[in-house]
Amino acid sequence: MSTPAAREIRNVPSYCYNCVAGPDLMTVRVENGVATRIEPCHAAATIHPGLGRVCVKAFGLVQKTYNPHRVLAPMKRTNPRKGRDEDPGFVAISWDEALDTIAARLRDIRARGLLDDAGLPRVAATFGHGGTPQSYMGTFPAFLSAWGAIDYSFGSGQGVKCVHSEHLYGEFWHRGFTVAADTVHTRYIISCGTNVEVSGGVCAVRRHADARIRGVKRVQVEPHLSPTGACSAEWVPIKPKTDPAFLLALVHALLFEHERRALDLPFLRERTASPYLIGPDGYYLRDPTSFKPLLWDEATGAPVPFDTPGARPALEGRFTIAEAVTRGPDDEVRPQHNVAARTAFTAMADAVQGYTPDWAGGICDIPAETIRRIAAEFLENACIGETIEIDGETLPFRPVAVTLGKTVNNGWGAYECCWARTMLATLVGALEVPGGTLGTTVRLNRPHENRLKSVQPGEDGFMVAHFNSTGRKDWLAVPSGRNAHRTLVPIVGNSPWAQALGPTHLAWMFSSDAPKEWPAPPLPEIWFAFRTNPAISFWDTAEIGRAMARMPFIVAFAYTFDETNHMADILLPDATDLESTQLIRVGGTKFVEQHWAHHGVALRAPAVAPQGEARDFTWISTELARRAGLLERYNAALNRGAAGAALKGEGYDFSLAPEQAHDVDTIWNAVCQAATAELSHGAEVHDLDWFKRNGHYVVPFKREDWYLYPTMVRLGLRFELPYQERLLRVGVELGRRLHEQGIHWWDHQLDEYVAIPQWHDVPERWVQSIRDMGGDPDDYPLWGITTKVMPYTTGNNAGIPLMHEVSANLRNHGAVVINATTAASLGIATGDWVEVRSPIGATRGRAAVVQGCRPDTVVIPGQFEHWKTPFAKDLAFPSLNTVVPLSLALTDATGSGADVVRVALRKVAAPAEAGAA
Amino acid sequence: MTRYVMVADLRRCVGCQTCTAACKEGNATPPGVQWRRVLDLEAGTYPDVNRVFVPVGCQHCANPPCMEVCPSTATGQRADGIVTIDYDLCIGCSYCIMACPYDARSLVDRTEYAFGEAATAAEAARADRRTIGVATKCTFCAGRIDAGTARGLVPGQDPEATPLCVNSCISGALSFGDIEDPTGPIATLLAENQWFRMHESEGTEPGFYYIWDKGKL
Repeated sequence: MSTPAAREIRNVPSYCYNCVAGPDLMTVRVENGVATRIEPCHAAATIHPGLGRVCVKAFGLVQKTYNPHRVLAPMKRTNPRKGRDEDPGFVAISWDEALDTIAARLRDIRARGLLDDAGLPRVAATFGHGGTPQSYMGTFPAFLSAWGAIDYSFGSGQGVKCVHSEHLYGEFWHRGFTVAADTVHTRYIISCGTNVEVSGGVCAVRRHADARIRGVKRVQVEPHLSPTGACSAEWVPIKPKTDPAFLLALVHALLFEHERRALDLPFLRERTASPYLIGPDGYYLRDPTSFKPLLWDEATGAPVPFDTPGARPALEGRFTIAEAVTRGPDDEVRPQHNVAARTAFTAMADAVQGYTPDWAGGICDIPAETIRRIAAEFLENACIGETIEIDGETLPFRPVAVTLGKTVNNGWGAYECCWARTMLATLVGALEVPGGTLGTTVRLNRPHENRLKSVQPGEDGFMVAHFNSTGRKDWLAVPSGRNAHRTLVPIVGNSPWAQALGPTHLAWMFSSDAPKEWPAPPLPEIWFAFRTNPAISFWDTAEIGRAMARMPFIVAFAYTFDETNHMADILLPDATDLESTQLIRVGGTKFVEQHWAHHGVALRAPAVAPQGEARDFTWISTELARRAGLLERYNAALNRGAAGAALKGEGYDFSLAPEQAHDVDTIWNAVCQAATAELSHGAEVHDLDWFKRNGHYVVPFKREDWYLYPTMVRLGLRFELPYQERLLRVGVELGRRLHEQGIHWWDHQLDEYVAIPQWHDVPERWVQSIRDMGGDPDDYPLWGITTKVMPYTTGNNAGIPLMHEVSANLRNHGAVVINATTAASLGIATGDWVEVRSPIGATRGRAAVVQGCRPDTVVIPGQFEHWKTPFAKDLAFPSLNTVVPLSLALTDATGSGADVVRVALRKVAAPAEAGAA
Repeated sequence: MTRYVMVADLRRCVGCQTCTAACKEGNATPPGVQWRRVLDLEAGTYPDVNRVFVPVGCQHCANPPCMEVCPSTATGQRADGIVTIDYDLCIGCSYCIMACPYDARSLVDRTEYAFGEAATAAEAARADRRTIGVATKCTFCAGRIDAGTARGLVPGQDPEATPLCVNSCISGALSFGDIEDPTGPIATLLAENQWFRMHESEGTEPGFYYIWDKGKL
């Protein structure tokens, strides 16, 4: 070992944003020019909710940097044939050749037009997990902005990778792109599969650990005992995909098994649409003149518009309304005379009356008394009527929350779960108040930095909602992207994030089997891929691989060879986490449980020089822009704020000269100065050198801004709950539009557009899918599901030996988790090789026999079965993705599916040979 | 007197292995050698099952069995309770590995690297040939403690004087400090909570305490 005196030691500030639960701040220790270890950023302990610490993944970044398997020079493909069994014949080329090759194609496309004959962008791009690649791609967003139309519809996975339905409905109802418990205040959490101790990140883990010591009770409802279940007060092993029944039964219990005064009646009356009157056709009864929804005024005994001053709204009841109108689909105004009406609250009660705990118990395989007790505990802990002081403001205190995990939150049944969860919070006034259920950030609305500012008054006393039009004139009959998000999914809207939140598997499916009603979608002429490996992370990986192989020209930013860039034409080695420069936003409220009392910016400074010929992403972006003739547009995008901060603002101007190609430090120096000037309102300006010494700059963020409720009160708005009149209308309109085009293959999805979600046999859909695939359900008697472990929760680190080594301390690493009784019945012991099979294929791994798993369920953690990624390909780990089908029938109205499949299980002698599955 | 001890609050630990990774990287232990690791344990029968995560490593016993069997006097004990191994004296006999009730010691007899035969630049920078062929284990990051206390820092409170596993622990499960300080955070933590030590019946008097209030594991 070197003597301390011989070492030159530097501590370089950086961040880890490898999963959406970040960013977290860290320090890179550099000895004699070599990065040797990661340490927490102790200087941030007072401003970072996780005390300046990073999770296990960050400790893999040193090995990531020095991984001998890295692609360290630009490469080009020499074998024109593509496919898993084809050797790409990659050969090293110069940066000039690589960039000029790409730029030539870009210029050619620009000359012919950005859209092809089908009206689809000729350039497509896919980035990995949850937008986090943006924190590592330098100024590439400015390049994308400079280019113009780009198709983002080729996804890299949903299901366990995303809480898809929550994104859409959460943001619609309460600006909650992701939804969390207000863990620092709450007392009781019903967690339906939310694996927050694994995927919640540093901030969530710390908050929940503190809450446990404080005495919070968390009830974990999930088919297998995850680390989150392990750390919970109670585990309720529910049958997969029956969560809607469980949650609807909780709603029933609150409405029918407890006194009405146990609910937060003022909240329901004033802050929700519960008093709005529903007409016999299912739409709000409206004032014939103003078109405003009516409610029943108990003071005057008459219907009045919802915003009538002094009105005392009837929360529930049935009334006869003499004169009103309803607004049906396509703006049909329907006069209503002497019609029977009920409040939205009463309509909800009517709809859930049959969902008793006894009914749900049989479906969910949970004792009815357990469901009753959980409902009672939820109510007991809701503290109706209590208040708390936050930032000097008195707010309601409702310390109960309901959270939903991935798979619960995806595919069929997810709408019901999202609605029931949000209604549980709403019934006790625990939506968006201290202790309750909170949204954390927005992505379908703007600004991303503070979701409260996205709240604007819209129709009928609700927040504005930006749906894709389903009207006769404005509906997009011919898709503008290959997953048809604007055409098929009204609620997803058309923000920059919307396309990636559409039905991204449809882009892959339609590339080989397009709907006959639309122009055949040509493949994109260039597909950029960064930090994404859909050939591993999506379902039916074999089919995804075949679809990818048809792409005519793929540019992959490559760390090592992998299963996706195996199909690429050009590989570009970008400087990785510890080698490159970027400034990002931190704090405020971000995904998951990143609730800070500060917000600001943090620098990822290069700790070491890039390995080989890897180049900073900002340099690559600038060069691509310059060679493609986009430099002025690129610089203009940077000046507008494409690198995270507008370079010109009130009292400051750090704009870049538009006609020059600026170097990396010049660009980030301008961003650093502009960001600090913006945050401090001109009081402080810090340059890149300052950030290289200090790492981050923050200013206070009001804790009151964690909650939407004060904003709703200030604007006099109501949450658009419980009744989903808008969704009902939109669904009818969408059906009409599709049917007018002769499209009927989306009809099952149209069934989901109901005003109050109703139970249907959700698990049966997966049983039916076995029949659809030509199988006999009796041959596939088990549920196959997946889960995560923290070292592999995103992070693109399957090729990092340290992650493998430390994960091996967990019982389920790389295994097929099987209940002990089930395993015994099949003669399976821990360590045996087993095969999990569905009609589309099979995957093999070693058995981990446990008690903490339902007997009818097997669990395959993570996403493995690599066949190209160095190190990972030798692990011989199983992957659920191999056996989950890409299926339109298993796609819900939001365009999401779930990581669930019916499977067969058997003991086998050995791992399958490569490609045998 | 000072006695440094570790406290693991099992109510907090989520089994994330961040401490395992931080220790491995900070102490440059070779593949397969983990001075700190977290066990993933299960008890009960479906559906009444408990799963618990238990950080383990050298317990820095007051009566260390490893020291008792060490024929070369390589294993020693500092006045502050930290059990040490003098690599220059260790003959690699492995008696201590057999004697340790906590499975806390390791011995590798050849150099291995994460990606195979060749060391990465980081591994080359940190390679310590003295650790080949001798017993190794958790040191409580004694070097950090000594360097920190020499600067007036307090182990367990000041990060620069605190073991890396404790610094890295994201749930706050791991705490470290002087148990002999009657008003210090360790004494307070233990006074206010139920705790146990592993294999107390062996008479080892471990310097590693586990906070747990849910009965028998």
